[in-house]
Amino acid sequence: MTADELAAPELDVAGIAPEPVTIAGLTRGGCALLLFVSQECPTSALALRNLGPLCAGWQAAGLSCTAVFEDPLEIALRVARVSGWTGTVVSQPAPYQASQDYGLQSVPTAFLVDSAGRILRRVTGWDQPAMAELIETAAGRGAADLARPEARHPLRKPGCQSKAALDPEIAAAMAAASDTDELEEMFERGWTDGLPVIPPTTERVEAMLGRGFDGDASLGEVPPAMGEATLGRVAVCAVLAGCRPEYFPVVVAAARAALDPAFNLHGQAVTTQPAGQLIVVSGPVRHAIGLNSGMGALGPGNRANLTIGRALRLLVELTGGGMPGALDRSTLGHMGKVGFCVAEDEEVSPWEPLHVERGFGADQSVVTLIGCDAPLSISDHRSRTPEDLAWTLAWAAASQWSTNWWPLREPSVFVICPEHAAMFREHGWTKQRLREFMFESVHKPAGELRRGETTPQVHAADPGDEVPKWASPESIVLLVAGGEAGRYSAVLGPCTGMGFQIVSREVESRWPATT
Amino acid sequence: MAGDYVSPFDERVRQAESLAPRPVSLAGLRVTLLDIRKNRGAEFLDRIETLLQAAGATTARTGKEIFSKPAALSLIDQTTAVADAVVEALAD
Repeated sequence: MTADELAAPELDVAGIAPEPVTIAGLTRGGCALLLFVSQECPTSALALRNLGPLCAGWQAAGLSCTAVFEDPLEIALRVARVSGWTGTVVSQPAPYQASQDYGLQSVPTAFLVDSAGRILRRVTGWDQPAMAELIETAAGRGAADLARPEARHPLRKPGCQSKAALDPEIAAAMAAASDTDELEEMFERGWTDGLPVIPPTTERVEAMLGRGFDGDASLGEVPPAMGEATLGRVAVCAVLAGCRPEYFPVVVAAARAALDPAFNLHGQAVTTQPAGQLIVVSGPVRHAIGLNSGMGALGPGNRANLTIGRALRLLVELTGGGMPGALDRSTLGHMGKVGFCVAEDEEVSPWEPLHVERGFGADQSVVTLIGCDAPLSISDHRSRTPEDLAWTLAWAAASQWSTNWWPLREPSVFVICPEHAAMFREHGWTKQRLREFMFESVHKPAGELRRGETTPQVHAADPGDEVPKWASPESIVLLVAGGEAGRYSAVLGPCTGMGFQIVSREVESRWPATT
Repeated sequence: MAGDYVSPFDERVRQAESLAPRPVSLAGLRVTLLDIRKNRGAEFLDRIETLLQAAGATTARTGKEIFSKPAALSLIDQTTAVADAVVEALAD
């Protein structure tokens, strides 16, 4: 490729720094690499991936690197981060004046500009040999220590049409669609879990936060990508999820619990298991915000349950980077990973609610987080004694995790329906008695468990040794919820191998501005 | 429109860590084998350790608390203080 030797036009673009981006500024240390790209273009993604990791070294050696996106800045920053681009990121709005000024027909297009502001080289599409020559030219202009892009497949790939080169009518139609359909724009920005979201306008986010609260206050970093959970970002996720502002203290409590290192959200967020995060809400706040603990308590139909659970998952997926298929490597997932929030029916329950069991007062409102799998329904319309019912419930869980994986150390969560709970109430069974009976009921000789996936404990035992399904009665968590009719309880499988603890946090009607 | 929305992303741009230079030779190299505590990972490391020793490397073994949590910073510090290279094994 021959040198173009043209004057590089000034860039009509915006970056995250308040200062204007100028050619003189970019070439202050020597040459500048400009890479024009767009989000939708696979060849742009290829160029960003191949060149991005090299930028840090190039910049240190005096070659500045700037990705010029034909997309909004928020999208540009996210795409650059995901691609591993370590250089500067700038954005140009429609009608893409910078692309027009540089005469772009397609993206990606790379330009090498020297300190006198002249274009030395231009590479169109992905062309590894030409990019290597471009870098060679930059090295010859003083930045000698420059790594060359690796010659890996594909060496060349045609680019996509630049938005600046589109027919004006088509460009106008595209811009109009984007401007008038906020919901589609949320998908374009990647601010979604796959379902439509509520656009987080400044007004909505401020209403979610409430007056006088510091949106910059940090709750900590969200695994796995360790994005910072400011109160503002938690509020954004609550808006996206569809929460009403009165739900927000519950969302904040859930976020605080999730970010406690004892909960090991990191492991849960990236595992190949289906693991989701179950939010159990206890105490007066259930009624204050209209959470459903009755009919269909684990299913659809209630805004508070669905959106609170979804807000926490959006925080993990967007702020934390734990998006399925990206850093979340779950083989199958389950629908509880869209959002999973249940309220206890403390009024129907014969027992103390979960938060009281965990040391809180009955008048406190508390969120408890448990890592767990999808629910398995347990039908029992025939048991006439609490022993028969407890035995049925316990053995329904015997295949949890894997048929022969005994014992389980992580918690199994049983959601007992009101009709089943009534039988235990009638016979005066305490929670602890039920838990111990279930624990004692389910055991097998080790010899029967040596098939397929099993535990070191089963291998180490004598064939006749009895092995329990759970390591202790405390691995059995009991809640009460559901409609008044129907004898269907459920058990939620464990999140095995995560070494996590159940974590509770009080719901504060006012939370501190800083932590 | 773009300025009217608040982003859920942490937009900080982080500099990628550059890779350490590849060792020229295994002879005399101090290699720590890190067991992440996944099922049967130790068996894999046993084999790697034998091969490394045959190539002249000096080996040591260490491990994470549990596979599903990131390595503790103290473990990383202790390991990098005594090793020229680290081999980390996945398993299952």
